[in-house]
Amino acid sequence: MKNSMKILIMVLVLLAIPIVILAQTEEPKEKVITINAQQFSYTPGTVEVNRGDRVTIRLISTDVHHGLYIDGYEVSTDARPGQDGSLTFVANNTGKFVMRCSVTCGPFHPYMIGYLKVKPDYRLFGSIWLAVGIFIGSILLVIRRQKP
Amino acid sequence: MEKKQLMEIIAGILVLLATVGTIGAALLYDEHLWGGLRTIELTAQAPERGNWNIQEIHLVRGEPVRIKIRNIDTVSHGFAIPELGISLNGTGEIKPGNVGVIEFTPDKTGDFLFTCTTWCSTQHMQMTGRIIISEK
Amino acid sequence: MTEKILGLIPVDWRFELTSLPYVRKIIKSRWMPFLPIVLNLSVFTIILMAGFVGGVSAGNYNFGIMFVWIVWWLLLMMVMVPFFSRIWCMICPLPAFGEWLQRLGFMKVRNKLFGLNKKWPKALKNMWLVNFLFLGTTYTTGFLTTRPIATFILLMSIIIGSIVLMAVFEKRNFCKYIGCPVGGFLGLYSNMAVTEIRAKDPQICKDHKHKDCVIGNEKGHACPWMILPFDIGRNTYCGMCLECFKTCPYDNMAINLRPPATDLLVDKNRGLDEAWKAFIMLGIAIFFFLIMQGNMGFLKDWANAKTTEGYLTFVVLHSIFNLLLIPGVFFVFVYASRTLGNKEIPLKKLFTNFSYTLVPMGLIAWIAFSFGILFPNSSYVLHVISDPFAWGWDLFGTAHFPWTPFLTGVMPYFQIGTLLFGLVLSLDIGFKISKQTFQKRDEAVRGFIPIAAFLTAVTIFLIWLFTG
Repeated sequence: MKNSMKILIMVLVLLAIPIVILAQTEEPKEKVITINAQQFSYTPGTVEVNRGDRVTIRLISTDVHHGLYIDGYEVSTDARPGQDGSLTFVANNTGKFVMRCSVTCGPFHPYMIGYLKVKPDYRLFGSIWLAVGIFIGSILLVIRRQKP
Repeated sequence: MEKKQLMEIIAGILVLLATVGTIGAALLYDEHLWGGLRTIELTAQAPERGNWNIQEIHLVRGEPVRIKIRNIDTVSHGFAIPELGISLNGTGEIKPGNVGVIEFTPDKTGDFLFTCTTWCSTQHMQMTGRIIISEK
Repeated sequence: MTEKILGLIPVDWRFELTSLPYVRKIIKSRWMPFLPIVLNLSVFTIILMAGFVGGVSAGNYNFGIMFVWIVWWLLLMMVMVPFFSRIWCMICPLPAFGEWLQRLGFMKVRNKLFGLNKKWPKALKNMWLVNFLFLGTTYTTGFLTTRPIATFILLMSIIIGSIVLMAVFEKRNFCKYIGCPVGGFLGLYSNMAVTEIRAKDPQICKDHKHKDCVIGNEKGHACPWMILPFDIGRNTYCGMCLECFKTCPYDNMAINLRPPATDLLVDKNRGLDEAWKAFIMLGIAIFFFLIMQGNMGFLKDWANAKTTEGYLTFVVLHSIFNLLLIPGVFFVFVYASRTLGNKEIPLKKLFTNFSYTLVPMGLIAWIAFSFGILFPNSSYVLHVISDPFAWGWDLFGTAHFPWTPFLTGVMPYFQIGTLLFGLVLSLDIGFKISKQTFQKRDEAVRGFIPIAAFLTAVTIFLIWLFTG
C-alpha cells in the first residue's frame, strides 16, 4: 500500500519533468499575421504564437463577406473583397482557441474554423498528465485490491 | 364505452390541432401581421442563385406601400433605392434568414433602380431591379 | 460484497420513481405518452414547415436545422440518453401515424392490430441494419445540418417510411430494426442511463402465468417493442412506451433511478452488432469534429460535395475509419489483453465484452463534442424561435438577437473535464467487465492493462483533438 503510493507519486513527478521543460517561454514579440478567408476555411488554418506576443491579424477575403471571431479573447473583425479587416490583441491566455467566421458566408458558415494556438499549452500538458495519472492510478488500485 | 369514444374524439381533435391547426395558425398569424398596408414581398438571392425575385416593382404615387425583403440566401444582402434616398435602417444589412421591412409613400413618378448594398458575390453589381412609379 | 460503480454507488442500488403515487397515476393513464407525443408533433410540424419553406437558405438561421441538429441533438446526448434512457422514443412523433394506423385509433386498445403484421426475420434481429443506416445518414451530414430542405426530406422519409413499413411489419419493428437511424445508438447508449423500466418484484412475474404484458389485454397493448417486460435485463430495446404499466394486473412495473452504466455489466445478448455500433459512434464523433470544428478546408469541401471525387473520398475514408480502422486498433489491444490474461478465453468473447467499455467513452466523447456546438452556436435558437419561417415575425422579441458565442473561453475546460470523467467511468466499467470475462482475478488485472491503455490513449487523443 505505502509502496504503491510512493510509486504513484514518483511516476507523477517524472511525468511532470517534460512538461516543465516544454513549458519554457520565449521572449514576447510583435507578430503580424495575414489570414486569407475563403469559403469555408482560413489559410493558414492554424496560427501559432507565444504567450505575451502582441498579435495583429490582417484578414483578407477573396470571395464574400467573412468574419473572424476568436474564442476566449472575444475579439473580432471582418473583411470583404478589397476591404481587409484587422485586429490586435496581446496573447495572454495560453491554449488552443477557435477562430470562427462571424458573418454568415454560405451553407458551411458555422463550420468555417481556424485555430489560434498560444504556446506553451499548459492546459494540454496538464490534462494529458492527469489522464496518464488516472491510468496509472487505476492499475495500481486494481493491483492493490488484489491482496487485501 | 361512451367515455372511451369521447376520449378517442378528443385525441383526434388534438392530433388535428397539432398538425393542421399549427399550420393554419401560422398562416393566419402571418396574414394578421402584414395585413392592412399593401405589401410587396421581395426575396433576395445573389444573382447566380436567382437574383431579386421580383425584379420589377410597380407602385402608384401617393399610395403608401410596404416592401418586405426576405433574405432566403446564405449570405447577407442589403436594399436601397438610391435615387429616392431610401435604404434600410441600422447597419443596412439583412442577414440570411432575416427579413427587412421598408414602408414609404412614393412622391415622384419615374423609373428607378433598386439594388443590393452588400458585397454578396462576385456578381453583386448585377443584383438590381426596377421600381416603376406611375400616376394614379 | 456487491460491486460499486466508481467505488461509490452499489450496482444494485435502486430508487423507485413510480413509488410516488401521483407519478404512478400519470404513467398509468392512457393520456401518457399520448399528450407529450401530440405536443411534440406540433413542434415537428413547425420544424417540417420551416425545413420546407427554408429550402437551401442558410441553415444557421433556420428553425428546422436549429431545432433538429442543435436543440434536439444536444438534448438527446447531454440530457435524455444519460438521464432518461430512451425517453425520446416515448415521445417521438415520427412513427406515431404508423402506430395509430396499426391501432386504428389514437388511444383505444386493440389487441388485433391492423396491417399485415409480418414478423421481422430472425437473422436481422440485431443492430447491423441500423448501424449501416446511421453510417449512411452521416454521409449526408454536410447537407442535413446546413440545408433546411435536406432535414425536411430526412424527416418526411422517416414518417412516410414508418407508415408504410408499420403496415407491413408488426408493432415497432420499424423503430427497432429497420427505419430509425438513431435507434441503434439510443439503445446502446441507454445502457448508460440512470433510469430504467423494470419489474418490481420478479417473483410476482414468475408466478403470473398469463403474461398480460407480452400478449396484451383490454387495458393496454402487448409490448410494442416485443421484449419481455418482466425480464428486461438491459435498456437497449425498451422504448419506454409505458404499455406494460397499463397491462400489468399486479401493478408490478416500475421506473427506477439507478447508478449509471449498470447495464454494461449485464452479460446478456451481447454481440458484435453492438460492438460495431460502439466503434461507429466513436468514429463519427471524431469525423464530425473534423468536419464541423476542424480547421481543414479540404475536408469541408469533401463533405459539402464541392467535387464528386472529393465527396466519394470522404464517404470511403469515413467508412473505412469507422468500420475497419477503429475496430482494427481495438483488436490489437484486445489481443494483447488475451495474451497477458488468459489465452484460453475465446478472442471473440473478449473482443465483444470489452467493446462495451467504449460505450461510456463514446457517449462522453459526444457530450464533449456537443459543448463545442452549444457554447458558440446556441444563440441562433433565440432568432429562430421568434421568426421560425423567416417571414419577418418577432414572436418573443428576439428575432434580431445577433449571433453571440458565450463562455467560449472556458469551453475547453468543460470538454476536458467530461472526457476525464469518461475515462474514469470507462476504466471502472472496464475492470468490472474484465473480472467478468476472465475467471481469475490476477488474469483480470493483467488483461485489463492493455484495455486501460487503449481507453487512456483514446481520451488523450480526444483531449488533444478537441482542445489542444
